[in-house]
Amino acid sequence: MGRRKKIHKEAKWPRVVSLKEREEVLSFWEERFGIPKEIFQDYLLLSTAKNYWLFIAPPDLRPLQNLKVQTVGLLFTRRVSRWLKPTSTALQRFGHLATKNVLELSPSQLDRLRREKRLPFEAEVEEGYVIIKCEGKVWGCGLYAQGKLISFLP
Amino acid sequence: MLKVTEAPAYFARYREIIPDFEKFLAHLREPLPLYFRLNELKAPDPEVVLAGLARQGVKAEAVPGFPHFYRAEPRDFPLGNTEEYYLGYIYPMTLSSALPVIALEPKPGEYILDMCAAPGSKTTQIAQVAEDKAVIVANDRRLDRLTALVANLKRLGVACALTTLYRGEVFPFGVPFDKVLVDAPCSGEGRYREGYEGELLYQKEGHTNLPAIQKGLLVRAFDLVKVGGIVVYSTCTFNPEENEMVVDYLLRKRQAEIVSCTYPLPHHPGVTEWEGRPLHPDLQKTARFYPHETQAVGFFVAKIKRLF
Ligand SMILES: C[S@@+](CC[C@H](N)C(=O)[O-])C[C@H]1O[C@@H](n2cnc3c(N)ncnc32)[C@H](O)[C@@H]1O
Repeated sequence: MGRRKKIHKEAKWPRVVSLKEREEVLSFWEERFGIPKEIFQDYLLLSTAKNYWLFIAPPDLRPLQNLKVQTVGLLFTRRVSRWLKPTSTALQRFGHLATKNVLELSPSQLDRLRREKRLPFEAEVEEGYVIIKCEGKVWGCGLYAQGKLISFLP
Repeated sequence: MLKVTEAPAYFARYREIIPDFEKFLAHLREPLPLYFRLNELKAPDPEVVLAGLARQGVKAEAVPGFPHFYRAEPRDFPLGNTEEYYLGYIYPMTLSSALPVIALEPKPGEYILDMCAAPGSKTTQIAQVAEDKAVIVANDRRLDRLTALVANLKRLGVACALTTLYRGEVFPFGVPFDKVLVDAPCSGEGRYREGYEGELLYQKEGHTNLPAIQKGLLVRAFDLVKVGGIVVYSTCTFNPEENEMVVDYLLRKRQAEIVSCTYPLPHHPGVTEWEGRPLHPDLQKTARFYPHETQAVGFFVAKIKRLF
């Protein structure tokens, strides 16, 4: 029994990823969607468990690390088993910069995808995570594989 | 809950300070126009958003003097149910609520504390004005409200903010803030209005001593900002005890200076005397905004510089 030891406040702070890990995540965005790494040059990449967060690079991070934080930045990418998966949140923000693996759906297709969560689908894109767009608006992330489109929309 | 028929008695104590008092009372029976901010962080091409809204029957017109703000009609349109809202392209808010951030003038690279931030209309406005490049600490003491703030930051795609859950009065020292916004909890008198059912949407925070809380928040904000930095104090109430007298308290306790500011809405100088008590003459540099003159919620804004 007794009182549980308080978690050290810095333990809650997401960790700044190594250059190598940053390179891996940003290369994924560049290779998969054609979004250049430089787009993210003003941001730090932070990580908690399997999540990567984008947070503006402050002049000095240390004073902020003394705060007990609830959230830091924008959820950017997740590690799902061996893969990196972009979040819909991040795609909605940066997806308009993509040059490939974008699926343009009609409003009725989008409706159906949101309701049924998967659709039979044929498209000229590489298998893997895709950006779902409709009438010029980015809705988020889908998975295209084996003639199917699976929704990861929120 | 105060009925609109009781409003004249309630507001009578402000007869001397609210201009065109009768007009003000009459205005309380009218609904306010609907405004939204277009979030260019997520919608680099505003036309897509405006066209989408137009297809649903919403007419949106840019508001002069308020970059990114639009007046929408019909004014009872449920903007919160639109795709544009869901995707974080728009943030509906009353026009006067934009004023504190106009006074704050956030810039990329600055450390900014939003001390009473939830649900985040001003935090997200700061992020947008600073192009998602200021370092924003968005704080609120209430977890339920902070959750709404976190949801709004996500919805609007803001990456330059972190959130904390402190009582503002004891927010820890150590971050060299360039600017602090204190959008204080207040009696909310500026929001008084006859609702659709003929009732005033009046919320008063029980019997808490609001001026005491507000003084505590403002003094802490001042102590947190670096020398030469800016604190903006705002409320949506008319009550001088929650406005000028709070700032007056700071001016007596600390080396602070009120900075004049230009606003794109009609306003009046802060009062320098209340109920027979003289206040610091510089308080005339603070600004009071009234609903019948602005077609928006009543507001008070003070821009303060830390001298030492
Ligand atoms: C006027 S509202 C803020 C509105 C917000 N700035 C916006 O624009 O969306 C005041 C907020 O102050 C918070 N609050 C009340 N007392 C506080 C305290 N002592 N410290 C920090 N926040 C407090 C309330 O939970 C409330 O969310």
